[in-house]
Amino acid sequence: MTTTSPPTATTGAPPPSVPTARSPWRLVRAELRRRPAARVSLGVVALFALLAAAAPLIGPLGGWGPDEFDKSAVDPYLGGLPIGPLGGVSAEHWLGVEPVTGRDLFARVVHGAQVSLLIAFSATAIVVVAGTAAGIAAGYFGGRTDTVLSRLMDLTMSFPSLIFMIAMMSVARDVNRIVLMTAVIGLFGWPGIARIVRGQTLSLKHREYVDAARVGGSGPVRILVRDILPGVTGPVVAYTTLIVPGMIATEAALSYLGVGVRPPTPSWGQMIAESVAYYETDPLYFAVPSVCLFLTVLAFTLLGDALRDVLDPRGGGA
Amino acid sequence: MNKRTCTLATALVTTLALAVTGCSGGGTSSGGARNGKNPATDNSGAVLGGTPQKGGTLTVLSNQDFTHLDPARNWVMGDMDFGTRLLYRTLVTYKAEPGAKGGDLVPDLAEDLGISSNGARTWTFKLKPGLKYEDGTPITSRDIKHNVERSFSPDLPGGPDYAARYLAGAEGYQGPAGGRHLASVKTPDDRTVVFELRTPFAEFPFAATLPTFAPVPPSQDKGPQYDNRPFSSGPYKIDSYARDKQLVLVRNTHWDPETDQVRKAYPDRIVVTMGLKANQIDDRLIAATGPDASAVPWDKLRPESTPKVLTKPDIKARLLAESTSCTEMLQMHTGRAPFDDVKVRQAVQYALDREAVLTASGGPALNDPATALMPGFLFGGKQPDTLGIPLTGDVPRAKKLLEEAGEGGGFTTRITVSNGDKAVGEAIQQSLGRAGIKVTIETVDPSAFYDTIGDTKNRTDLVYTGWCPDYPSGSTFLPFVFDGRFIKEKGNSGNHSLFRDDATMKRMDEIAAMADAARAAEAWRELDGKILAKAPTAPVVVERKPLLIGTNIAGAFGHTSFGGQLDYATVGLKDPSKSAN
Amino acid sequence: MILYLGRRLLGVLGVLIAVAAVTFAVFHVLPSDPAAAACGKSCSTERLEAIRANMGLDTPLWRQFADFVTGIFTGRTLGTGQYALRCDFPCLGYSYENSQGVWDLLVDRLPVSASLAVGAAALWLLLGLSAGVTAALRKDTLTDRVLMVGAVAAASLPVYFTSVMLIYGLIRVTGLLPYPQYVPFGTDPLSWASNLLLPWLALALLYAAMYARQSRNSMIESMAEPYIRTARAKGLPRRTVVVKHGLRSGMTPILTIFGMDLGGLLAGAVITESIFGLPGIGRLFYGALSTGDQPVILGATLLAATFIVVANLAVDLLYAVVDPRVRY
Repeated sequence: MTTTSPPTATTGAPPPSVPTARSPWRLVRAELRRRPAARVSLGVVALFALLAAAAPLIGPLGGWGPDEFDKSAVDPYLGGLPIGPLGGVSAEHWLGVEPVTGRDLFARVVHGAQVSLLIAFSATAIVVVAGTAAGIAAGYFGGRTDTVLSRLMDLTMSFPSLIFMIAMMSVARDVNRIVLMTAVIGLFGWPGIARIVRGQTLSLKHREYVDAARVGGSGPVRILVRDILPGVTGPVVAYTTLIVPGMIATEAALSYLGVGVRPPTPSWGQMIAESVAYYETDPLYFAVPSVCLFLTVLAFTLLGDALRDVLDPRGGGA
Repeated sequence: MNKRTCTLATALVTTLALAVTGCSGGGTSSGGARNGKNPATDNSGAVLGGTPQKGGTLTVLSNQDFTHLDPARNWVMGDMDFGTRLLYRTLVTYKAEPGAKGGDLVPDLAEDLGISSNGARTWTFKLKPGLKYEDGTPITSRDIKHNVERSFSPDLPGGPDYAARYLAGAEGYQGPAGGRHLASVKTPDDRTVVFELRTPFAEFPFAATLPTFAPVPPSQDKGPQYDNRPFSSGPYKIDSYARDKQLVLVRNTHWDPETDQVRKAYPDRIVVTMGLKANQIDDRLIAATGPDASAVPWDKLRPESTPKVLTKPDIKARLLAESTSCTEMLQMHTGRAPFDDVKVRQAVQYALDREAVLTASGGPALNDPATALMPGFLFGGKQPDTLGIPLTGDVPRAKKLLEEAGEGGGFTTRITVSNGDKAVGEAIQQSLGRAGIKVTIETVDPSAFYDTIGDTKNRTDLVYTGWCPDYPSGSTFLPFVFDGRFIKEKGNSGNHSLFRDDATMKRMDEIAAMADAARAAEAWRELDGKILAKAPTAPVVVERKPLLIGTNIAGAFGHTSFGGQLDYATVGLKDPSKSAN
Repeated sequence: MILYLGRRLLGVLGVLIAVAAVTFAVFHVLPSDPAAAACGKSCSTERLEAIRANMGLDTPLWRQFADFVTGIFTGRTLGTGQYALRCDFPCLGYSYENSQGVWDLLVDRLPVSASLAVGAAALWLLLGLSAGVTAALRKDTLTDRVLMVGAVAAASLPVYFTSVMLIYGLIRVTGLLPYPQYVPFGTDPLSWASNLLLPWLALALLYAAMYARQSRNSMIESMAEPYIRTARAKGLPRRTVVVKHGLRSGMTPILTIFGMDLGGLLAGAVITESIFGLPGIGRLFYGALSTGDQPVILGATLLAATFIVVANLAVDLLYAVVDPRVRY
């Protein structure tokens, strides 16, 4: 999802259309060397990705499951506030406990990372795949395909997306919440990337090497996959990195509004939503998931900025 | 009344407030209050702040709008308090006194508590002379009849249905809009109203406290829009009402205190500010600076705010925590396996960790664990504990019961809770899990909650909901929750355990026919224990209504008959000059 | 140009009808039955049917939709007999919850959301553009890096985190600002601003980063253009060059984002409004969603969509003004 090289490097296809002679991935490495912030970001992203992937292994290190109550750690007479300083931080509970339930915060934040990032990454994958496919199709085939797809993009972008996501999340009850959330977030995200890819495809469509391939008898599928796709990869990778934080934030916002994952599953958004009320009485409870969310979003944004400067120097957007 | 009337509004708001509490209990400290005393109930039965001075502006900080202020549609505890204490008078009302005396009736518009005849089938009320609306026009018995008729209109849904339930010839009646009237409500003269009932109903005076029995003059009736501007017969009238933003009440100069033995009407103005964040209301009242000193909260203190209140004696001294008198229950689908087996249901009763649920709903300071079905005041104070299950449950016993039922290996089931009760759901999930019952939680939006659990075919095996009696009588509790004849396939309400037990139903009919109120009360209590032993539900908690009032507030107490809400008939300010104008 | 405008307006109408149709369909499958919700407890079947008929929910879905769309233009009568409500153009129906006209509700709430959006937009433009221009002029210095990372960091905080911290710092601890309570601009402009300052700040911090970044890039790019160098060489003051030439030519992408952001925000900021207790359209929508108040949900969604498409249209038209190269 981050900087792993795409398959283009090995296909031997004509060089993609990045307007410099050097390979984009060398440029990326150079840019990372030049920007310490981006390097740190890469580290943070890698760390949280690892945490999320290895949650079932890392979570139990603290000795508690994410759903396990510890009634001895909270004081029911004070609204279930954790006993002890810093929200009940102790040798037993490394980051303290959740008020009221006494569930271990370390275990929950680690499992929450898995849920939050899983949703964010899957939604991003949907958006990128759908957006790229639609963008290439619209740009390459043009004509009626372009008209229909472009109208669809306009229409999708006209929907007040957060409002609709909230609505759709509260409509469906019996389905897997994580899958539903991924799908719903993905549904409203694809037009942005589709537009960028469409623009890029339009500019590639009449490049000489594409014309050459066409004259050489390649079918449209072959041209799309071998000639156009590699050309749009750079901007897509940069844009992908930049939309991940938006996805994480959307998951958090939906959970904050109470239409997120099913209890007792933790996610960062759900944890922040529940801890907001405790910011004064149990600041650590509020701080832990908030800091995780903040760091991840920040790291992805900085990294994405750096990648975009290299891979898509004209910038995305319009 | 249905839990809906208590929780629809609050549940709505909790989703916005989103500060869900989580769940658990207090490991070593069990059951009873710490040092034998509940730190939140010091002010129980007391009036805070002494006698108020006349004048000033009372501010009410609210996180919600009123559900309905139209008297034909008002059936939410707090809203009924606000409406009938400030805006409109009813035939009969409750005494303005803290504690059990709040359950006593006094005449309001009527001269007495009503005269029954024909074996409690006919009730006659005579209005006091000289009663006036806010424009000075007289209140007549026809206006009472008009509002009773309005309550049947499909355009004006949501209100109490006692009229529909008891009035003779009310079947199929659709309200006065078509020019049709109810023959069973007679108005022989301007001051007399007679109700003809289809069955004997000794408790009719209690029903006459409901807003259905407030006057609405036909000339002012604007149908559904009346909700936004009820015409006043009480001490205050509406100056402005911007829905979900602000309600301003000013004095109704045509209200005559001589005719009213309940309402004191101390403040000159009452301003309700709505849509505030619940936690911010708590913070403002804890600080109580400036105009907030003269403010009271509408909704209860959030559980997260309790540490900020209970640890500081000067702030705690401003806390009211009267019981809501609503029993929250874990209700099991008795018509479906495995809950058709009484042993399985008893196993749930034993597996349940009420302490954990208690903590999830705000802790033992703000809730009482339930040991019986009817709330304490229907038992004359305290619920009996006929089953004697330990507060944190008895897991070995639960496992044994499951084994006897052939479910020793445990099973999987689902529970439906309202969004706002998510933490409670998690506590139930956790505690039943100890006995091998694996529970999946379905959270439902408050708007859909009652429809979802009312669909008896498709609903989950377990639901978490409660019931609040409408007035101090077992007849407003047990028949609503456990009479199998009221079960509907869709839109089912009250009897969410779908409990259909012939012996129980027979006994209910016998008690309803009793003329002696004391004997009937005793019989309801006895029946309560018998039903509990058959385990259609597991009673969990009886919540309190913690309200933190401002430093300049006087005459404040939680009224037992209004679910612990402040009695708006008597609340006022210590020093009116300190309030905002 | 007129032809273009006409075509675009037609497109806007089409999009809005499509949005309405989708909203209608989505909320039809909502599990809540508004008739049952209104009916209350121990609701008899006949009464439920009567209420359903009164709400117009007993007809097929397409019929309800057709009634709704035609009702917007021609008005319609809802309910029966003495209590019937006449709902005139533009009729969006009546709230199930409080029987108020949806159009009136929206009009009543719009000033709040608009105040919030416009104030926040002004603030983020100010913060974002000044940070961006400063960073561009000091390209690759420490100031540049601190500004840019700071902007991104502020945007990485969820709005509910920023809001809570702002409330804590500026209200609870220091008492510098009041708890936000909407005061109409016309009543008291000063009080209007001081009450809205916190929510403005919370939103501006979220949005400013994008503008800082975009304006920095545009500035750097255009400052390298030959005509800027000419302008500098002619001896024009630095500020004139920066603002008139550098920033202006970089406005196009900024305008695009701005239009979309403002359009989206005008129709209500659900989270911000609910945190600060502001009675705007976002809170109206969210409240309606929790009570299943379909007419209000539909009305608020349509209004939001209208703002978005109109903002996009306005942006396209403004291009012509800002960038003389664009012609229709």
